[in-house]
Amino acid sequence: MERAVPRAGIRRRLRLATAIGALLTLLGTYAVSTTARADAAPGINAIRVAEFPADCGFSHRLPDDPIIFPGLPGASHMHSFFGSTVTNAHTTLPDLLNSTTTCNPGVDTSSYWVPTLYRNNVPVEPAIVTFYYLGEGVLSDVVARTEPLPQGLRIVAGNALATGPENSIARWSCLHAGHVPPSKNFVNCPAGTMLESYLDFPQCWNGRDLDSPDHKSHMAYPVNQACPASHPVPVPKLRQVLRYPVNGDPSQFRLASGPGYTMHGDFFNAWPVAEMARRVNDCIRPVIKCGHDGRPL
Amino acid sequence: MRTTAASSALVAVALLVSGCAHAGPAARPPTATTGNAASPAGTAGPGGTRGAAAFNGTDVAWLQLHVAMAERLLPALDLVPARTTDPAWRRLAAQVAATHRADLTRARGLLAGSGAPATNPHEGHDMPGMVTAEQLAELRSASVAALHRLLAQHLRAHLTQAVRVAAAEQRSGAHPAVTALAAAVVRNGTAALARLDRLDPPPASAGAR
Repeated sequence: MERAVPRAGIRRRLRLATAIGALLTLLGTYAVSTTARADAAPGINAIRVAEFPADCGFSHRLPDDPIIFPGLPGASHMHSFFGSTVTNAHTTLPDLLNSTTTCNPGVDTSSYWVPTLYRNNVPVEPAIVTFYYLGEGVLSDVVARTEPLPQGLRIVAGNALATGPENSIARWSCLHAGHVPPSKNFVNCPAGTMLESYLDFPQCWNGRDLDSPDHKSHMAYPVNQACPASHPVPVPKLRQVLRYPVNGDPSQFRLASGPGYTMHGDFFNAWPVAEMARRVNDCIRPVIKCGHDGRPL
Repeated sequence: MRTTAASSALVAVALLVSGCAHAGPAARPPTATTGNAASPAGTAGPGGTRGAAAFNGTDVAWLQLHVAMAERLLPALDLVPARTTDPAWRRLAAQVAATHRADLTRARGLLAGSGAPATNPHEGHDMPGMVTAEQLAELRSASVAALHRLLAQHLRAHLTQAVRVAAAEQRSGAHPAVTALAAAVVRNGTAALARLDRLDPPPASAGAR
Protein backbone atom coordinates (compact mmCIF):
# COMPACT_ATOMS: atom_id res chain seq x y z
CA MET A 1 0.00 0.00 0.00
CA GLU A 2 2.79 2.39 0.89
CA ARG A 3 4.28 4.11 -2.12
CA ALA A 4 7.85 4.94 -1.31
CA VAL A 5 8.81 7.01 -4.33
CA PRO A 6 6.27 9.81 -4.13
CA ARG A 7 6.68 9.87 -0.37
CA ALA A 8 10.43 10.47 -0.67
CA GLY A 9 9.72 13.14 -3.23
CA ILE A 10 7.40 14.93 -0.88
CA ARG A 11 9.98 14.76 1.92
CA ARG A 12 12.50 16.46 -0.34
CA ARG A 13 10.01 19.09 -1.20
CA LEU A 14 9.18 19.49 2.46
CA ARG A 15 12.78 20.25 3.34
CA LEU A 16 12.97 22.76 0.54
CA ALA A 17 9.77 24.35 1.66
CA THR A 18 10.94 24.67 5.22
CA ALA A 19 13.97 26.51 3.97
CA ILE A 20 11.99 28.78 1.74
CA GLY A 21 9.06 29.95 3.77
CA ALA A 22 7.33 31.56 0.86
CA LEU A 23 6.73 28.17 -0.72
CA LEU A 24 4.78 26.84 2.22
CA THR A 25 1.34 27.54 0.90
CA LEU A 26 2.16 26.14 -2.47
CA LEU A 27 3.52 22.97 -0.92
CA GLY A 28 0.35 22.54 1.08
CA THR A 29 -1.63 22.48 -2.11
CA TYR A 30 0.75 19.95 -3.60
CA ALA A 31 0.66 17.68 -0.61
CA VAL A 32 -3.05 16.97 -0.85
CA SER A 33 -2.71 13.41 -1.98
CA THR A 34 -3.41 10.16 -0.24
CA THR A 35 0.27 9.33 -0.01
CA ALA A 36 1.04 12.58 1.74
CA ARG A 37 -1.45 12.17 4.54
CA ALA A 38 0.79 10.58 7.11
CA ASP A 39 3.85 12.48 6.04
CA ALA A 40 3.06 16.04 6.93
CA ALA A 41 6.02 17.16 8.98
CA PRO A 42 5.59 19.14 12.16
CA GLY A 43 6.57 22.73 11.80
CA ILE A 44 4.48 23.60 8.80
CA ASN A 45 1.30 25.50 9.42
CA ALA A 46 -1.28 22.81 8.86
CA ILE A 47 -1.49 19.07 8.44
CA ARG A 48 -3.24 18.46 5.16
CA VAL A 49 -5.80 15.91 6.30
CA ALA A 50 -9.48 16.81 6.33
CA GLU A 51 -10.32 15.66 9.82
CA PHE A 52 -11.73 16.54 13.20
CA PRO A 53 -12.23 14.02 16.01
CA ALA A 54 -14.47 13.30 18.95
CA ASP A 55 -13.25 10.89 21.62
CA CYS A 56 -16.25 9.48 23.45
CA GLY A 57 -15.71 6.91 26.18
CA PHE A 58 -18.19 4.22 27.18
CA SER A 59 -21.33 5.59 28.82
CA HIS A 60 -23.81 2.78 29.42
CA ARG A 61 -25.37 -0.45 28.17
CA LEU A 62 -29.02 -1.04 27.36
CA PRO A 63 -30.98 -3.49 25.18
CA ASP A 64 -32.44 -0.41 23.45
CA ASP A 65 -32.18 1.22 20.02
CA PRO A 66 -33.90 4.60 19.49
CA ILE A 67 -33.42 4.36 15.70
CA ILE A 68 -34.44 0.76 14.93
CA PHE A 69 -36.79 0.25 17.91
CA PRO A 70 -37.99 3.72 18.90
CA GLY A 71 -40.25 3.59 21.95
CA LEU A 72 -39.61 -0.11 22.58
CA PRO A 73 -37.27 -0.56 25.56
CA GLY A 74 -35.78 -4.03 25.80
CA ALA A 75 -36.57 -4.84 22.17
CA SER A 76 -32.98 -4.91 20.96
CA HIS A 77 -29.86 -6.94 21.50
CA MET A 78 -27.47 -5.34 23.99
CA HIS A 79 -25.88 -2.07 22.89
CA SER A 80 -22.95 -0.13 24.29
CA PHE A 81 -23.54 3.62 24.17
CA PHE A 82 -20.96 6.39 23.78
CA GLY A 83 -21.37 10.15 23.87
CA SER A 84 -24.72 11.22 25.30
CA THR A 85 -25.27 9.67 28.71
CA VAL A 86 -29.08 9.60 28.49
CA THR A 87 -29.79 7.55 25.36
CA ASN A 88 -32.51 4.92 25.65
CA ALA A 89 -35.37 3.60 23.50
CA HIS A 90 -37.32 6.86 23.83
CA THR A 91 -34.50 9.27 23.01
CA THR A 92 -35.26 12.16 20.69
CA LEU A 93 -33.14 15.07 19.49
CA PRO A 94 -34.16 17.46 22.32
CA ASP A 95 -33.10 14.82 24.87
CA LEU A 96 -29.65 14.68 23.29
CA LEU A 97 -29.27 18.44 22.99
CA ASN A 98 -29.80 18.79 26.75
CA SER A 99 -27.66 15.82 27.65
CA THR A 100 -24.32 15.42 29.33
CA THR A 101 -21.75 13.57 27.26
CA THR A 102 -18.66 11.42 27.54
CA CYS A 103 -17.20 13.13 24.47
CA ASN A 104 -14.17 15.30 24.11
CA PRO A 105 -15.13 17.88 22.91
CA GLY A 106 -17.95 18.31 25.38
CA VAL A 107 -20.06 20.17 22.83
CA ASP A 108 -20.68 16.86 21.08
CA THR A 109 -23.78 15.45 22.77
CA SER A 110 -24.46 13.08 19.89
CA SER A 111 -25.21 9.45 20.63
CA TYR A 112 -23.17 6.62 19.17
CA TRP A 113 -23.85 2.94 19.82
CA VAL A 114 -22.63 -0.51 18.80
CA PRO A 115 -23.49 -4.11 19.70
CA THR A 116 -21.78 -5.05 22.96
CA LEU A 117 -18.66 -7.21 22.67
CA TYR A 118 -18.52 -10.24 24.94
CA ARG A 119 -15.46 -12.24 25.94
CA ASN A 120 -16.54 -15.60 27.32
CA ASN A 121 -19.99 -14.07 27.80
CA VAL A 122 -18.68 -11.18 29.90
CA PRO A 123 -19.21 -7.70 28.39
CA VAL A 124 -16.04 -5.84 27.39
CA GLU A 125 -16.07 -2.13 26.61
CA PRO A 126 -13.53 -0.40 24.38
CA ALA A 127 -10.79 1.49 26.20
CA ILE A 128 -10.25 3.94 23.33
CA VAL A 129 -13.24 5.21 21.34
CA THR A 130 -12.69 7.73 18.56
CA PHE A 131 -15.11 9.07 16.00
CA TYR A 132 -13.25 10.73 13.15
CA TYR A 133 -15.10 13.11 10.88
CA LEU A 134 -13.25 12.98 7.57
CA GLY A 135 -13.19 14.56 4.15
CA GLU A 136 -11.93 11.64 2.14
CA GLY A 137 -13.15 8.88 -0.12
CA VAL A 138 -14.41 11.46 -2.61
CA LEU A 139 -12.63 13.71 -5.08
CA SER A 140 -11.05 16.89 -3.74
CA ASP A 141 -13.62 19.16 -5.36
CA VAL A 142 -16.33 17.17 -3.56
CA VAL A 143 -14.47 17.51 -0.26
CA ALA A 144 -14.31 21.25 -0.85
CA ARG A 145 -18.10 21.49 -0.92
CA THR A 146 -18.80 19.22 2.04
CA GLU A 147 -21.92 20.24 3.94
CA PRO A 148 -22.29 19.95 7.72
CA LEU A 149 -24.09 16.87 9.02
CA PRO A 150 -27.60 18.13 9.73
CA GLN A 151 -28.65 18.11 13.36
CA GLY A 152 -30.95 15.18 14.10
CA LEU A 153 -29.56 13.05 11.28
CA ARG A 154 -29.53 9.33 12.03
CA ILE A 155 -27.09 7.03 10.26
CA VAL A 156 -26.61 3.29 10.53
CA ALA A 157 -23.46 1.63 9.17
CA GLY A 158 -22.49 -2.00 8.90
CA ASN A 159 -24.79 -4.98 8.66
CA ALA A 160 -26.23 -6.44 11.86
CA LEU A 161 -27.81 -9.15 9.71
CA ALA A 162 -24.62 -10.19 7.93
CA THR A 163 -24.57 -13.93 7.43
CA GLY A 164 -20.91 -14.00 6.47
CA PRO A 165 -17.93 -11.83 5.56
CA GLU A 166 -19.21 -11.32 2.02
CA ASN A 167 -22.06 -9.03 3.05
CA SER A 168 -20.19 -7.11 5.71
CA ILE A 169 -18.05 -3.96 5.78
CA ALA A 170 -16.72 -4.69 9.27
CA ARG A 171 -12.97 -4.56 9.76
CA TRP A 172 -11.10 -6.05 12.70
CA SER A 173 -7.38 -5.58 13.28
CA CYS A 174 -4.82 -5.25 16.07
CA LEU A 175 -3.54 -2.01 17.56
CA HIS A 176 0.27 -2.12 17.63
CA ALA A 177 0.38 -5.32 15.60
CA GLY A 178 0.05 -4.20 12.00
CA HIS A 179 1.42 -7.49 10.73
CA VAL A 180 -1.81 -9.28 11.66
CA PRO A 181 -3.93 -9.15 8.51
CA PRO A 182 -7.22 -7.34 9.04
CA SER A 183 -10.40 -9.35 8.68
CA LYS A 184 -14.13 -8.88 8.58
CA ASN A 185 -14.34 -11.24 11.55
CA PHE A 186 -12.42 -11.22 14.83
CA VAL A 187 -8.65 -11.58 14.54
CA ASN A 188 -6.13 -13.17 16.89
CA CYS A 189 -4.13 -10.27 18.36
CA PRO A 190 -0.78 -10.95 20.03
CA ALA A 191 -0.36 -10.47 23.77
CA GLY A 192 0.17 -6.84 24.66
CA THR A 193 -1.93 -5.55 21.75
CA MET A 194 -5.58 -4.56 21.51
CA LEU A 195 -8.36 -5.82 19.27
CA GLU A 196 -9.66 -2.92 17.20
CA SER A 197 -12.71 -2.34 15.01
CA TYR A 198 -13.00 0.17 12.16
CA LEU A 199 -16.29 1.12 10.57
CA ASP A 200 -16.94 3.79 7.95
CA PHE A 201 -20.36 5.43 7.70
CA PRO A 202 -21.99 6.52 4.42
CA GLN A 203 -21.16 10.14 3.53
CA CYS A 204 -23.70 11.08 0.85
CA TRP A 205 -27.06 12.43 2.04
CA ASN A 206 -30.27 12.73 0.03
CA GLY A 207 -30.53 16.30 1.31
CA ARG A 208 -34.03 15.78 2.64
CA ASP A 209 -34.60 13.07 5.24
CA LEU A 210 -33.05 12.77 8.70
CA ASP A 211 -34.00 9.07 8.71
CA SER A 212 -35.82 6.66 6.40
CA PRO A 213 -38.13 3.68 6.87
CA ASP A 214 -35.27 1.20 6.47
CA HIS A 215 -32.91 3.64 8.25
CA LYS A 216 -30.48 3.40 5.32
CA SER A 217 -32.08 4.82 2.18
CA HIS A 218 -31.51 8.47 3.06
CA MET A 219 -27.73 7.90 3.00
CA ALA A 220 -25.37 6.33 0.46
CA TYR A 221 -21.72 5.54 -0.01
CA PRO A 222 -19.86 7.37 -2.78
CA VAL A 223 -19.74 5.91 -6.27
CA ASN A 224 -16.57 6.59 -8.27
CA GLN A 225 -15.43 9.00 -5.56
CA ALA A 226 -18.49 11.18 -5.94
CA CYS A 227 -21.92 11.36 -4.37
CA PRO A 228 -24.58 9.77 -6.60
CA ALA A 229 -27.40 11.90 -8.03
CA SER A 230 -29.88 10.24 -5.66
CA HIS A 231 -27.79 11.39 -2.67
CA PRO A 232 -26.14 14.56 -3.93
CA VAL A 233 -25.05 16.17 -0.65
CA PRO A 234 -21.54 15.29 0.59
CA VAL A 235 -21.21 15.33 4.38
CA PRO A 236 -18.23 14.39 6.55
CA LYS A 237 -17.49 10.69 6.61
CA LEU A 238 -17.81 9.31 10.10
CA ARG A 239 -15.18 6.70 10.89
CA GLN A 240 -15.73 4.76 14.11
CA VAL A 241 -12.57 3.32 15.69
CA LEU A 242 -12.90 1.18 18.82
CA ARG A 243 -9.97 -0.33 20.72
CA TYR A 244 -10.90 -3.17 23.04
CA PRO A 245 -8.54 -4.20 25.85
CA VAL A 246 -8.59 -7.85 24.77
CA ASN A 247 -6.49 -10.10 22.56
CA GLY A 248 -5.87 -13.76 21.81
CA ASP A 249 -8.12 -16.58 20.63
CA PRO A 250 -11.04 -15.10 18.63
CA SER A 251 -13.32 -17.97 19.64
CA GLN A 252 -13.78 -16.31 23.05
CA PHE A 253 -15.42 -13.27 21.42
CA ARG A 254 -18.94 -12.58 20.21
CA LEU A 255 -21.00 -9.49 19.57
CA ALA A 256 -24.53 -9.07 20.90
CA SER A 257 -25.55 -9.24 17.23
CA GLY A 258 -23.48 -12.35 16.44
CA PRO A 259 -20.05 -12.95 14.84
CA GLY A 260 -17.52 -10.17 14.25
CA TYR A 261 -18.82 -9.46 10.74
CA THR A 262 -22.17 -8.31 12.21
CA MET A 263 -20.41 -5.23 13.67
CA HIS A 264 -22.50 -2.14 13.07
CA GLY A 265 -22.73 1.37 14.37
CA ASP A 266 -25.55 3.83 14.92
CA PHE A 267 -25.15 7.59 15.03
CA PHE A 268 -27.70 10.20 16.12
CA ASN A 269 -26.26 13.64 15.40
CA ALA A 270 -26.68 16.26 18.12
CA TRP A 271 -23.65 18.45 17.44
CA PRO A 272 -24.54 22.12 17.94
CA VAL A 273 -25.17 23.46 14.43
CA ALA A 274 -22.57 26.22 14.73
CA GLU A 275 -19.86 23.88 16.09
CA MET A 276 -20.40 21.38 13.27
CA ALA A 277 -20.47 24.15 10.65
CA ARG A 278 -17.28 25.72 11.98
CA ARG A 279 -15.42 22.41 11.82
CA VAL A 280 -16.63 21.65 8.30
CA ASN A 281 -15.59 25.13 7.26
CA ASP A 282 -12.21 25.21 9.02
CA CYS A 283 -11.10 21.56 8.85
CA ILE A 284 -12.91 19.52 6.20
CA ARG A 285 -13.32 21.88 3.23
CA PRO A 286 -9.78 23.34 3.38
CA VAL A 287 -8.33 19.87 4.19
CA ILE A 288 -6.79 20.67 7.57
CA LYS A 289 -6.33 18.29 10.47
CA CYS A 290 -8.02 19.70 13.55
CA GLY A 291 -7.99 18.76 17.21
CA HIS A 292 -10.89 18.15 19.54
CA ASP A 293 -11.51 21.87 19.77
CA GLY A 294 -11.97 22.05 16.01
CA ARG A 295 -8.85 24.22 15.57
CA PRO A 296 -5.97 23.30 13.29
CA LEU A 297 -3.35 21.20 15.05
CA MET B 1 -0.60 10.45 13.15
CA ARG B 2 -0.51 6.71 13.54
CA THR B 3 -4.24 6.46 13.25
CA THR B 4 -4.31 8.49 10.10
CA ALA B 5 -1.68 6.35 8.45
CA ALA B 6 -3.52 3.18 9.31
CA SER B 7 -6.91 4.54 8.40
CA SER B 8 -5.97 5.99 5.07
CA ALA B 9 -4.49 2.66 4.09
CA LEU B 10 -7.83 0.95 4.41
CA VAL B 11 -9.98 3.61 2.85
CA ALA B 12 -9.77 2.14 -0.61
CA VAL B 13 -10.79 -1.31 0.54
CA ALA B 14 -13.63 -0.07 2.72
CA LEU B 15 -14.98 2.06 -0.08
CA LEU B 16 -14.93 -0.69 -2.64
CA VAL B 17 -16.74 -3.05 -0.34
CA SER B 18 -19.26 -0.63 1.06
CA GLY B 19 -20.08 0.75 -2.34
CA CYS B 20 -21.23 -2.64 -3.50
CA ALA B 21 -22.98 -3.61 -0.32
CA HIS B 22 -25.17 -0.55 -0.26
CA ALA B 23 -25.86 0.12 -3.88
CA GLY B 24 -29.20 -1.69 -3.81
CA PRO B 25 -31.09 -0.18 -0.90
CA ALA B 26 -29.58 3.25 -1.42
CA ALA B 27 -30.82 3.41 -4.97
CA ARG B 28 -34.40 2.64 -4.01
CA PRO B 29 -36.66 5.64 -4.55
CA PRO B 30 -38.30 7.02 -1.43
CA THR B 31 -41.80 5.77 -0.79
CA ALA B 32 -44.78 8.05 -0.49
CA THR B 33 -45.13 7.44 3.22
CA THR B 34 -41.50 8.11 4.08
CA GLY B 35 -42.48 10.81 6.51
CA ASN B 36 -44.40 8.64 8.93
CA ALA B 37 -41.79 6.02 9.53
CA ALA B 38 -38.87 8.31 9.01
CA SER B 39 -39.64 10.90 11.63
CA PRO B 40 -40.93 8.82 14.47
CA ALA B 41 -38.82 10.11 17.29
CA GLY B 42 -40.59 13.39 17.82
CA THR B 43 -44.02 11.85 18.00
CA ALA B 44 -43.30 8.57 19.72
CA GLY B 45 -44.14 9.80 23.18
CA PRO B 46 -47.15 8.60 25.13
CA GLY B 47 -50.45 10.38 24.84
CA GLY B 48 -49.77 11.74 21.37
CA THR B 49 -52.80 13.43 19.87
CA ARG B 50 -52.18 12.30 16.32
CA GLY B 51 -54.53 11.76 13.45
CA ALA B 52 -56.42 8.51 13.86
CA ALA B 53 -54.81 6.65 10.97
CA ALA B 54 -51.20 7.76 11.46
CA PHE B 55 -48.46 5.21 12.08
CA ASN B 56 -45.51 6.40 14.10
CA GLY B 57 -42.04 4.88 14.22
CA THR B 58 -42.88 2.76 17.23
CA ASP B 59 -45.88 1.23 15.45
CA VAL B 60 -43.82 0.17 12.45
CA ALA B 61 -40.86 -1.07 14.49
CA TRP B 62 -43.10 -3.09 16.77
CA LEU B 63 -45.10 -4.65 13.91
CA GLN B 64 -41.89 -5.67 12.15
CA LEU B 65 -40.44 -7.09 15.32
CA HIS B 66 -43.62 -8.91 16.28
CA VAL B 67 -43.86 -10.54 12.86
CA ALA B 68 -40.21 -11.60 12.99
CA MET B 69 -40.58 -13.03 16.49
CA ALA B 70 -43.76 -14.95 15.68
CA GLU B 71 -42.21 -16.39 12.53
CA ARG B 72 -39.38 -17.78 14.66
CA LEU B 73 -41.64 -19.34 17.28
CA LEU B 74 -44.12 -21.09 14.97
CA PRO B 75 -41.69 -23.72 13.61
CA ALA B 76 -40.89 -24.73 17.19
CA LEU B 77 -44.56 -25.03 18.09
CA ASP B 78 -45.38 -26.87 14.88
CA LEU B 79 -43.02 -29.73 15.63
CA VAL B 80 -44.67 -30.46 18.99
CA PRO B 81 -47.44 -32.82 17.79
CA ALA B 82 -44.93 -35.10 16.09
CA ARG B 83 -42.50 -35.08 18.99
CA THR B 84 -44.69 -35.61 22.08
CA THR B 85 -47.94 -37.35 22.91
CA ASP B 86 -48.47 -35.34 26.09
CA PRO B 87 -51.93 -33.78 25.59
CA ALA B 88 -51.23 -30.77 27.84
CA TRP B 89 -48.16 -29.77 25.83
CA ARG B 90 -49.91 -30.41 22.54
CA ARG B 91 -52.85 -28.27 23.64
CA LEU B 92 -50.67 -25.39 24.81
CA ALA B 93 -48.59 -25.44 21.63
CA ALA B 94 -51.72 -25.51 19.47
CA GLN B 95 -53.32 -22.62 21.38
CA VAL B 96 -50.26 -20.41 21.23
CA ALA B 97 -49.69 -21.25 17.55
CA ALA B 98 -53.30 -20.39 16.65
CA THR B 99 -53.08 -17.05 18.46
CA HIS B 100 -49.77 -16.24 16.79
CA ARG B 101 -51.11 -17.08 13.32
CA ALA B 102 -54.08 -14.78 13.85
CA ASP B 103 -51.80 -12.03 15.16
CA LEU B 104 -49.45 -12.50 12.20
CA THR B 105 -52.27 -11.97 9.73
CA ARG B 106 -53.34 -8.78 11.48
CA ALA B 107 -49.77 -7.52 11.84
CA ARG B 108 -48.90 -8.16 8.18
CA GLY B 109 -52.04 -6.36 7.06
CA LEU B 110 -51.23 -3.36 9.21
CA LEU B 111 -47.64 -3.31 8.00
CA ALA B 112 -48.82 -3.33 4.39
CA GLY B 113 -50.96 -0.30 5.14
CA SER B 114 -48.13 1.56 6.84
CA GLY B 115 -46.02 1.92 3.72
CA ALA B 116 -43.00 0.41 5.49
CA PRO B 117 -40.68 -1.83 3.49
CA ALA B 118 -42.08 -5.32 3.14
CA THR B 119 -38.73 -6.92 3.86
CA ASN B 120 -38.07 -8.38 7.28
CA PRO B 121 -35.46 -6.11 8.88
CA HIS B 122 -34.69 -8.86 11.39
CA GLU B 123 -34.14 -11.64 8.84
CA GLY B 124 -31.53 -14.06 10.09
CA HIS B 125 -31.00 -12.03 13.22
CA ASP B 126 -31.22 -13.57 16.66
CA MET B 127 -33.03 -11.04 18.79
CA PRO B 128 -34.16 -11.55 22.39
CA GLY B 129 -37.16 -13.89 22.48
CA MET B 130 -36.44 -15.46 19.10
CA VAL B 131 -35.91 -19.18 18.69
CA THR B 132 -32.57 -19.59 16.91
CA ALA B 133 -31.80 -22.07 14.15
CA GLU B 134 -29.56 -23.99 16.57
CA GLN B 135 -32.31 -24.17 19.18
CA LEU B 136 -34.76 -25.39 16.58
CA ALA B 137 -32.34 -28.12 15.50
CA GLU B 138 -31.89 -29.10 19.13
CA LEU B 139 -35.67 -29.37 19.57
CA ARG B 140 -35.93 -31.63 16.52
CA SER B 141 -33.52 -34.17 17.97
CA ALA B 142 -34.39 -33.87 21.66
CA SER B 143 -35.84 -36.65 23.77
CA VAL B 144 -39.39 -36.11 24.98
CA ALA B 145 -38.26 -34.99 28.45
CA ALA B 146 -35.69 -32.62 27.00
CA LEU B 147 -38.24 -31.37 24.48
CA HIS B 148 -40.62 -30.33 27.26
CA ARG B 149 -37.85 -28.59 29.15
CA LEU B 150 -36.44 -26.76 26.10
CA LEU B 151 -39.87 -25.85 24.81
CA ALA B 152 -40.79 -24.37 28.19
CA GLN B 153 -37.57 -22.38 28.19
CA HIS B 154 -38.01 -20.97 24.66
CA LEU B 155 -41.72 -20.35 25.03
CA ARG B 156 -41.22 -18.53 28.32
CA ALA B 157 -38.43 -16.38 26.82
CA HIS B 158 -40.52 -15.60 23.77
CA LEU B 159 -43.77 -14.80 25.59
CA THR B 160 -42.02 -12.69 28.22
CA GLN B 161 -40.25 -10.63 25.56
CA ALA B 162 -43.38 -10.41 23.37
CA VAL B 163 -45.43 -9.11 26.31
CA ARG B 164 -42.67 -6.63 27.24
CA VAL B 165 -42.38 -5.05 23.80
CA ALA B 166 -46.13 -5.12 23.18
CA ALA B 167 -46.67 -3.26 26.47
CA ALA B 168 -44.17 -0.65 25.24
CA GLU B 169 -46.08 -0.37 21.95
CA GLN B 170 -49.29 0.25 23.93
CA ARG B 171 -47.58 3.15 25.68
CA SER B 172 -45.62 4.64 22.77
CA GLY B 173 -47.52 3.62 19.64
CA ALA B 174 -49.95 5.92 17.83
CA HIS B 175 -52.12 3.91 15.46
CA PRO B 176 -55.22 2.62 17.29
CA ALA B 177 -55.35 -0.67 15.38
CA VAL B 178 -51.71 -1.35 16.20
CA THR B 179 -52.02 -0.51 19.89
CA ALA B 180 -55.16 -2.67 19.97
CA LEU B 181 -53.21 -5.58 18.52
CA ALA B 182 -50.48 -4.93 21.10
CA ALA B 183 -53.09 -5.05 23.84
CA ALA B 184 -54.26 -8.42 22.54
CA VAL B 185 -50.67 -9.69 22.49
CA VAL B 186 -50.21 -8.61 26.11
CA ARG B 187 -53.51 -10.25 27.14
CA ASN B 188 -52.98 -13.51 25.25
CA GLY B 189 -49.30 -13.68 26.11
CA THR B 190 -49.94 -13.21 29.81
CA ALA B 191 -52.60 -15.92 29.74
CA ALA B 192 -50.28 -18.29 27.87
CA LEU B 193 -47.50 -17.63 30.38
CA ALA B 194 -49.87 -18.53 33.20
CA ARG B 195 -50.76 -21.82 31.46
CA LEU B 196 -47.08 -22.48 30.88
CA ASP B 197 -46.32 -21.84 34.54
CA ARG B 198 -48.87 -24.47 35.55
CA LEU B 199 -47.39 -26.96 33.11
CA ASP B 200 -43.78 -26.13 33.91
CA PRO B 201 -43.35 -24.17 37.15
CA PRO B 202 -40.81 -21.40 36.58
CA PRO B 203 -37.50 -21.35 38.46
CA ALA B 204 -38.12 -20.12 42.00
CA SER B 205 -35.78 -17.16 41.77
CA ALA B 206 -36.99 -15.91 38.44
CA GLY B 207 -40.62 -15.32 39.39
CA ALA B 208 -43.29 -15.16 36.75
CA ARG B 209 -42.27 -11.89 35.15
